[in-house]
Amino acid sequence: MVHYCVAKLTGKEKGLQKRLYSGGLKRGVALWFIAASALSCFSTAALSQDASKTAPLKVLRMAFSTAETGFDPPRVSDLYSNTINEAIFERLLTYDYLARPARLAPMTAVALPEITDGGKTYTFRLRHGIFFTPDPAFGGKPRELTAADYVYSFKRVLDPKIRSPWAFLLEGRIIGLDALAEAAKKTGKFDYDTEIEGLKASDRYTLQVRLSEPDYNFNYVAAHTPFSAMAREVVEKYGEDTMAHPIGTGPYVLKQWTRGARIVLEKNPDYRGMIWNFAASEEGDAELISEMQGKRLPLIDRVEISIIEEEQSAWLAFDRKELDFSGVGTFREKVFDEKGELKPEWRAQGVKLMRAIDPEVTYTFFNFRDPIVGGFEKEKLALRRAIIMAYNRDEEIDVIRKGQAIPATMPIPVGVVGHDPRYQPLNTYNPALANQLLDAFGFKKGKDGFRTMPNGAPLLLKYATGTTALERQFNELWKKAMDSISVRIAFQPGKFADLIKASMACQLQMWGSAWTADYPDGDNFMQLLYGPNIGQNNHGCYESKAFDAFYEASLKLPDSPERNRLFLEMTRQMEVDGAWVLGVSRERNMLIRPWVIGYKKHPILSATWIYLDIDPAKKP
Amino acid sequence: MTAYIIRRLLQMIPTMLGVVLLLFVLFNWVGGDPAYILAGKNTGEAQIANIRHQLGIDRPAYVQIGIFIKQIVTADFGASWSTNEPVSDILKTRLGPSLTVMVPLMVLGTLLAIALSLIVARFRGSLTDRMVMVACTVGMSISILVYIIVFQYVFAYRLGWFPVQGWGDSLWKNLTTFAALPILIGLCVGLAPDLRLFRSFMLDEIDQDYVRTARAKGLSEARILWIHVLRNASIPIVTYVMAALPGLLVGAFLIERFFSIPGIGREVLLAVERSDFPVIKAITVYVAAATMLANLAADLIYKAVDPRVELK
Repeated sequence: MVHYCVAKLTGKEKGLQKRLYSGGLKRGVALWFIAASALSCFSTAALSQDASKTAPLKVLRMAFSTAETGFDPPRVSDLYSNTINEAIFERLLTYDYLARPARLAPMTAVALPEITDGGKTYTFRLRHGIFFTPDPAFGGKPRELTAADYVYSFKRVLDPKIRSPWAFLLEGRIIGLDALAEAAKKTGKFDYDTEIEGLKASDRYTLQVRLSEPDYNFNYVAAHTPFSAMAREVVEKYGEDTMAHPIGTGPYVLKQWTRGARIVLEKNPDYRGMIWNFAASEEGDAELISEMQGKRLPLIDRVEISIIEEEQSAWLAFDRKELDFSGVGTFREKVFDEKGELKPEWRAQGVKLMRAIDPEVTYTFFNFRDPIVGGFEKEKLALRRAIIMAYNRDEEIDVIRKGQAIPATMPIPVGVVGHDPRYQPLNTYNPALANQLLDAFGFKKGKDGFRTMPNGAPLLLKYATGTTALERQFNELWKKAMDSISVRIAFQPGKFADLIKASMACQLQMWGSAWTADYPDGDNFMQLLYGPNIGQNNHGCYESKAFDAFYEASLKLPDSPERNRLFLEMTRQMEVDGAWVLGVSRERNMLIRPWVIGYKKHPILSATWIYLDIDPAKKP
Repeated sequence: MTAYIIRRLLQMIPTMLGVVLLLFVLFNWVGGDPAYILAGKNTGEAQIANIRHQLGIDRPAYVQIGIFIKQIVTADFGASWSTNEPVSDILKTRLGPSLTVMVPLMVLGTLLAIALSLIVARFRGSLTDRMVMVACTVGMSISILVYIIVFQYVFAYRLGWFPVQGWGDSLWKNLTTFAALPILIGLCVGLAPDLRLFRSFMLDEIDQDYVRTARAKGLSEARILWIHVLRNASIPIVTYVMAALPGLLVGAFLIERFFSIPGIGREVLLAVERSDFPVIKAITVYVAAATMLANLAADLIYKAVDPRVELK
């Protein structure tokens, strides 16, 4: 260890050391220097005890644009906390790193589960010999991961005290679990020891989940970070402070955490390891495979994450090579040339650009219970479809999104199971046709030049909005669109919490929203339009018997051409009814320094540094 | 003196009750419902009701106010609603970085403003005085945001004299490395208004009879300014500085955000974004208490500075 420290002395330090030994400095200063050097050496050595004595640590430096909340998987819903949890905790299943669309793969399970009983019973078999990171909660003994840990962790999601934002993914799904949660609401204590039919550890390594209805999407729940395995002893030991004590079985451990400022993860020395072994699914994968295939993971020793909320600060830090990754954001002009390609100065530095479309869709909903835009009468259908046809989405992409988005053609975005690139949308941009439609259905223009309802009542659209600069840009675009069909529109600013509350109560006439995939399946998007979800996330309060029938039929089917056909039927139905103004799927541009190897943006996984390597030779 | 202090301390109780009521009303009637923020993106009425119950915001208003008062008395504001971190820990850990920036900034800013104001007051009406005042007016007209963006770009990014952002574990490194540019920006932003204000305090004194008398007695100009004028001008300066002291507790929002300093200012912004009432409550109460104590301290200092002042 001492040898390592001496080897690390810089030229300046060596000079000072020489002066010390030759008596060039006073004894007190000399002692101070030796003590400081020793301290420095020991702290450096402590940090690098896993590393080879000669190889430099492979450190990845990144930034999060928003502060994390904490590291208790079912308790947090923000992207950045989930990212850290993804690296520390493990799910039964995960995703193949290269496969597109995203494809499930086993994580702590030996294989994908057996699905029996017509999609109602899932049997997961766990790998043997997976251990939690040592923690005082385990009393100094190695603690193996077992099926009972998943039983506990799944139950915990519905514990009312946890207030899990992910409870909706289990509510009404697992036999007996809701009753347990209801009992806990009454008694104030969740009884984890009560066995339920729906969640059983048949043996030490076998987990059986029984669902109340056939559901072929439960695998996606099992792959979702909030449903990671947590050890009951750890949760009980740390009580309310579990956010600060993430003890998992994953490839990284939390080494340092300055809340809202800095997160440092280090390679878990007890992690079982895995081999980088993925098959190509897209153009460009071959290069990744040639660089990474066969390497034992994880390769990055340390991940240093700074919370940098301001875009300028993050951008300058990346430009000064203080960060290894950066989004492009509003610095598009500094990055791309006229053709949208990376500018030569970046290419000269070896910086790589990774482009990917987020598995998300933006949309504006109409409230179907609103007296102006709601309802299924022919003139209401005409009004909504005219509004949709008047909205210039290409202008949104050019002006507001700065070209970093693609138009959404279905509620299911690109890269998500159920999306069909051949689908032709019905309500495309056509203000002339929109005007004809309104004329045909009696929306006449008044003296002021704006249209009225067919019965002569005033026609005023009320669009809910926030107060950010981006939202003001959208309002201007909407005003322009509505002016083109002579429809008056007013904007109603409100706080996000108030707007959510009002939309859940079907009290907003129109509002723009976005949905990012929790799991890469069309069901996760189509449920936003399902009638029984009114009061939850069907904010447009859209209730179509035809749509609901298609949706319910799709739930009973596994991923198949038949189910994809139902997704298309649902899409067509919502278009005919004019339920949403479909927006865009945003493009994510990542700049990566040349020494980072193996990066490919994954649509669902976010802690992809597990699959990366760093080439120290390429570092400046 | 003791009776005066006790009386002033007792007077703080109704003021604090006013703060409690105002904050409670603002949060509940003007702020958004935190349950909808904490519920995540997919929720229902049952989940909202459960969250409201867990947070205790479904209880009658008088019960919630009672709990609030108990929290003030016990100095225990519970845990953050969004992160579960005890509020006392939040204050302890975030106050240090804020003070690392704000204390040197306040000390340096005040000393510089005093020194420069004495100098320009001495040369009142001269070209120097006019140029300094014009520079101050220009400086005050520029938004702090411009200072931050330009200084960060030029001094940190282009010249590399300072880090672009960041914060460490060592007080010395934070003070000399990470806080240096934020302090410089703070000085540039704060110096102009302070200098103009302090100059006016000095000018009020510089034409007084005692100054003329001192000059007639042959005292040096430096002694007149630094001893006699400064002492007499110190009451409004003390008032100004003491009024600014509670600001140390809330940090500098924009500076902390741009330079990724994990201070109280950043925490306040986060708490507001997350409707994290326990954190908002604690910081508001501490700032209110600090303001009242600073006012009391200012009154006591008046007496020390000017024995003619009577405390009633």
